[in-house]
Amino acid sequence: MPDCNKNFESEIKEGKNLRNVKCKYCSSLILTPSTGTFTSFEFNLPLMKQSKVNDSNPDTENVSLFWAVNEMYTFQNVGFSNTVGDNKYLTCADCEAGPIGFHDIPSKKSYVALSRVQHV
Amino acid sequence: MAKKTYDLLFKLLLIGDSGVGKTCILFRFSDDAFTTTFISTIGIDFKIKTVELGGKKIKLQIWDTAGQERFHTITTSYYRGAMGIMLVYDITNEKSFENIVKWLRNIDEHANEDVEKMILGNKCDMSDKRTVSKERGETIAREHGIRFMETSAKANINIERAFSELAGAILEKTAGREPGDPADRVYVDRRQQPSTTKSCCN
Repeated sequence: MPDCNKNFESEIKEGKNLRNVKCKYCSSLILTPSTGTFTSFEFNLPLMKQSKVNDSNPDTENVSLFWAVNEMYTFQNVGFSNTVGDNKYLTCADCEAGPIGFHDIPSKKSYVALSRVQHV
Repeated sequence: MAKKTYDLLFKLLLIGDSGVGKTCILFRFSDDAFTTTFISTIGIDFKIKTVELGGKKIKLQIWDTAGQERFHTITTSYYRGAMGIMLVYDITNEKSFENIVKWLRNIDEHANEDVEKMILGNKCDMSDKRTVSKERGETIAREHGIRFMETSAKANINIERAFSELAGAILEKTAGREPGDPADRVYVDRRQQPSTTKSCCN
C-alpha cells in the first residue's frame, strides 16, 4: 500500500491532524489543524492520472489512512465530483488535482487520504 | 457536536454558454497527451471555498452548470437557494456575450429576485483574439445595474477578487439576517453524467 511507506504518526495529535492539510500541487488549504479525525480502513481510490485507453475501468490503488471529516463545511477549500455509486470524490478546489479522498453519501462523511495531500 | 467552523454559507452559481471557461474558472491541473485526470473524466459537482470578509468566515458553495446549458435545462430547481450568480462570457466569442442578455432573462424568470449577480468577461489573457471590448461589457453591466469584471482563469487574473466581491455584496444584503440552514440544499440530483468538456482554456 502506498501509504504504508511513510510514517504519518508524527502528524497525529490526540487523534486529529496536527498540521494544516494542503494540496500537494498548488498548496491550496484543505483542512486547518485538528479538524480531521485519523481513521484507518481500506479503500480502492482511483489514481489521479489515468491512461487514455482505459476510460471505463480506472486504475486504482488501495489506500488505508484517512482524515475523516463529519461535516463538509469543515473544509477550507475542496471540490466534490459528480456521484459515482455511493460516493463523490474529493479534489483540490483550486487546481482540481484528485481524487484526494472521497465522500460517502449515505453517512455524509468525507475521507481525505493522507498519502494524497501534504502536511505543513 | 463540533462547533461551527464558519459564520455564513453562500450558495453561488456559475452560468454562461458552453466553452466560455466556467469550468476553467477553477481549473488548472490539466490533462496531457497520454493521460487524462480521473477527475476531469467524472466532472466536478460543486466546490466549497472559504473567504474572510469583514471579520466573518464565509463558506462559498459554488456550482457549475456542468454542460446543462447546452440542453436549456437550467430551470427553477437549479437556481433554488442561490444567493449569487456569476454570469460568464468569453471576450473572444461574440455570441457568448450576446447571450448574456438571454441568461439575464432566464435568471429573472427562475431565480430568486434578490439574487446578487456579477458579469465576468473571461479569457482576458487572450487580447489578440478579443472581439468584445471591455466597454461593451461595462455598458451591459451598467444597464442592468450589475457588477462587472474581466477575468482570466488561465492566468489567474481577478478570479479570487471576483468571488470576494460577489460574496461581499451578498454579505451587505444579508447583514443582520441569520444564516439559513443549508442542509437541505447539498445535492441537486444530477446523477453521473459523462463529462465531455475538457481543457476549455485552449
